[in-house]
Amino acid sequence: MIQLQSESASYHGVKTLHDIDLLVSKGEKLALVGQSGSGKSTLIKLIYEHYPVNTALVPQDYGLVNNLSVYHNVYIGRLEQHTTFYNLVNLIRPKSEQVEIVRAILVGLQLEDYLFRPVGRLSGGQKQRVAVARSLFQQGHLLLADEPVSSVDEQQSRVVLKQMLNGFSTIVLALHDIQLALAFCDRIIGLENGRIVLDSPADELTEKDLLSLY
Amino acid sequence: MKFKVFLSVLFSTLILFSNMSLSASPNTLVFSAIPDQDETRLKQRFGDIAKYLEKQLGVPVKYVPVKSYAAVVTAFRNNQIQLAWFGGLSGVQARLKVPGSQAIAQGVEDPKFHTYIIANHSTGLKASDEFPKGVAGKTFTFGSKGSTSGRLMPQYYIEKNMGDKVDNVFKRVGFSGNHSKTIALVQSGAYEVGAVNFKVWEKEVEEGKVDTSKVSLIWKTPAYPDYQWTIRGDVDKEFGEGFSNKVKAALIGLKDPDLLGRFPRSGFIEAKNSDFDPILETAKSIGIID
Amino acid sequence: MISVYKHSPAWNVSWLFVFLAGFSLFFADIEVISLEPWEELKRLFMGLLAPDWSNLSEIGEAFLQTLAFAILGVAGGSVIGFLLAQIFHWRWIQVSCAFIRAIHELFWALIFLQIFGLHPLTGLLAIGLPYAATFAKVYAEILEEGDRSALQAVSLDASRISTFFYARLPDLWEHFKTYTSYRLECGLRSSAILGFVGLPTLGYTLSSAFMEGHYSVVWALLLLFYLLIATIRYWVRPALLPVYIIAAPFIVANDSTISFDNVQRFFTEDIIPAPIMRGESLSESWQWLSDLLIHQALPGIANTVVLTQIALVASGILTLVFFPLISTHFFKPAGRTIGHVLLVILRTTPEYILAYILLQLWGPSMLPAIVALALHNGAIIGHLIGRYSLEIKLRADASRGLNRYFYELLPRLYGQFLAFLFYRWEIIMRESAILGILGIATLGFYIDSSIQELHFDKAMILIFITALLNVLVDALSRYLRAKLRLKTNVDCRATNDYCTARE
Repeated sequence: MIQLQSESASYHGVKTLHDIDLLVSKGEKLALVGQSGSGKSTLIKLIYEHYPVNTALVPQDYGLVNNLSVYHNVYIGRLEQHTTFYNLVNLIRPKSEQVEIVRAILVGLQLEDYLFRPVGRLSGGQKQRVAVARSLFQQGHLLLADEPVSSVDEQQSRVVLKQMLNGFSTIVLALHDIQLALAFCDRIIGLENGRIVLDSPADELTEKDLLSLY
Repeated sequence: MKFKVFLSVLFSTLILFSNMSLSASPNTLVFSAIPDQDETRLKQRFGDIAKYLEKQLGVPVKYVPVKSYAAVVTAFRNNQIQLAWFGGLSGVQARLKVPGSQAIAQGVEDPKFHTYIIANHSTGLKASDEFPKGVAGKTFTFGSKGSTSGRLMPQYYIEKNMGDKVDNVFKRVGFSGNHSKTIALVQSGAYEVGAVNFKVWEKEVEEGKVDTSKVSLIWKTPAYPDYQWTIRGDVDKEFGEGFSNKVKAALIGLKDPDLLGRFPRSGFIEAKNSDFDPILETAKSIGIID
Repeated sequence: MISVYKHSPAWNVSWLFVFLAGFSLFFADIEVISLEPWEELKRLFMGLLAPDWSNLSEIGEAFLQTLAFAILGVAGGSVIGFLLAQIFHWRWIQVSCAFIRAIHELFWALIFLQIFGLHPLTGLLAIGLPYAATFAKVYAEILEEGDRSALQAVSLDASRISTFFYARLPDLWEHFKTYTSYRLECGLRSSAILGFVGLPTLGYTLSSAFMEGHYSVVWALLLLFYLLIATIRYWVRPALLPVYIIAAPFIVANDSTISFDNVQRFFTEDIIPAPIMRGESLSESWQWLSDLLIHQALPGIANTVVLTQIALVASGILTLVFFPLISTHFFKPAGRTIGHVLLVILRTTPEYILAYILLQLWGPSMLPAIVALALHNGAIIGHLIGRYSLEIKLRADASRGLNRYFYELLPRLYGQFLAFLFYRWEIIMRESAILGILGIATLGFYIDSSIQELHFDKAMILIFITALLNVLVDALSRYLRAKLRLKTNVDCRATNDYCTARE
């Protein structure tokens, strides 16, 4: 599914990833853990650059359009699957068949009340869930999510992660919350200073093992 | 630093403005003419007239080009020019605004001036002695808004013959700006019908500038007085007793066919204010002069 | 909870304007009158192939005059505007400035021509007066929004003036400089246009050349004008400015004199309504006034509004077409260069000259005016929006092409777009009125006619009405911007944008 061999990456001229070898098979749920600046986001980007097709993305900064409704922001996930004309009509008059699909996704993320509200008027946590909703709507073989639950509370984090696990077979998550990583993923990659320092099945690890990374 | 520059600029500007004296040497006779045709050549046209007058009058004479009829009247009124080659209407307006000013000379042709109504051939209108009522519903262009032969008289005769305002007679009424432009616009078909000074028309036809297969004369207005030289009443005080008579004599004595061709006239004859009363009456009846 | 999709207020307002413009189209005269418009256009572009520089002394003189009037007008305007900005909190100053601004430079020129005739003061005041009013407002806004923190650090007993010079000005200098140098560019355009009513600037030569169909001369003038504006940052240098300002009066000087009698006469006779001068009865005066209002003011207002509304929406549409041309989100560098050149040409050419050119080609209907206003304003706002679009960072998986345009860029830029468009509304209206001088039946047509017939009393009333209309639209625009919460911030870089949009 994903195969990276001695890859490195630079960010603003500074090398942030070194000699990354990574093999992810279909169906794996993978968590990237490590301090901020350890290279998690860069690795997510790197994977996206290599495998952009059929991949859903939840970037750290969401990239939502504040002036569009929640519905439209979610719908953007499938722009490429429809004709431009269909998209335009939908922009002006939301297509009811699409609205129903989006609504179902929003229900799962406890966002159904905000279907037609402009994203600009949502809280940070709500925006984050909209970004997740887009990826769920988009579907695909692979989900790449960079800190997808950093702004929502514990209880909601679990709801959101569950939805993501249901929606995608293969997942790579950047997560700073060790508990959640251990609870939801089956494989943990630890990053430190741009290098992979840990790669192990989740059930062989305890929180204490991971704390050393922080 | 920049700030000092700013301040120094500020003060030098103020000082310069207060010192900017722009008065002409008091004894220069400045004249102008209505921009009735080919505006790019105004300086050429009248520059030599200035030289001629200078020689005859013994005072410096200067021509200033002006963009509109109204601006000539204003300059005359403001004493920025003392002498002007006016059209019938602008002359009447100027003399109303400057009491004491005198019409002193006019072209030989001016007492019996005409406007030609010209039409593009696509209209199918033919030359006739009767007023061509077929112009109704066509697009129409005057010359300048302040022109006698290009606006006042044609408007008067059209409204008289059609019994309605020009705005209602024609599909569209425009103002080309000057006589040369009127000919060009009717020839190109931008307007179907137009009104033009007969002297300009004849001169341009003679010079081969008009494509008569595309545009031709269809009607000629009855005769009316038009262009004249008008001089301010206070020039005698400024330039010496009898100055306006000297100017008059110089103009009437102008015989150089090349210089006369600039107007274009075959010569100049005496004129007086009352010669232009018919223009005043017409302007009043149309509402241009209250 | 809410399950009916509701469009934003900005969307609704946009459609309201589109419908108004569509409705206006029914009343607009948009016929192409010339029989062979393309023939003429072809001749015009043939002129581009061989610009005629033969009359270099005349062209040079026209440019010197254009430059000198612009420099003096803007310099004078900025000094007076700067002083006025200090007392701009006085209500009557604000109102007077708004009113002076509402009258276009060309109308000012037509007024001053009556007072000072061909004296250079006509041109200086025609530029300087409305510019001073604009400078006063924008300088006051800069002072208002500028950083006040430095002020608090100065001890209280420092005099007001030295406080201002030590604590405020150094901080705000950049803002003033940016805006003032931008206005110099506007001043060049204004100065060029004044030639159309008789000042010896570029417009004089240009309109004469156009009148006679000397298109190769037209192009020589236009190309030189583009060059002048494009190189403005090279020849406008703080160190050179005093030189220019000292030289300029000598360039504009001519032999004309001004007499106080003329000034007095203008105010005590010329602009006093004729029935009052003649001592007519009240009913006769009313008759005179209602004649003027019904036969000139009303049709003039109607046509001005019709033209404005159509041109405004057309400008908006063109903006939306233009901005992607210079945006990295849509085109590669080569494509963007073409876009930049196109937009620079369109926004450098004064709309008056653009309209004049199109009018010569198509005849005097509203069509050339609409096209000219839309091209010029569309290019200005398109340039600004295009630049704003560069600040948007899209996700790595963002859509492309039209999807990107409609789902990613447009929603993000729409508020800014509307704000700029509403800023231009008043300017478009002012231009719509002035284009009447070219023969379209807006207010300018009736004003010009009154002046050509030497009825200055009527002209002044019509100019007054035009100004009121502008003030009204300005107020309406401000109301809508507040209602829709459209803001343009006045930080240093934005000052320039803000100004470009405003004037």
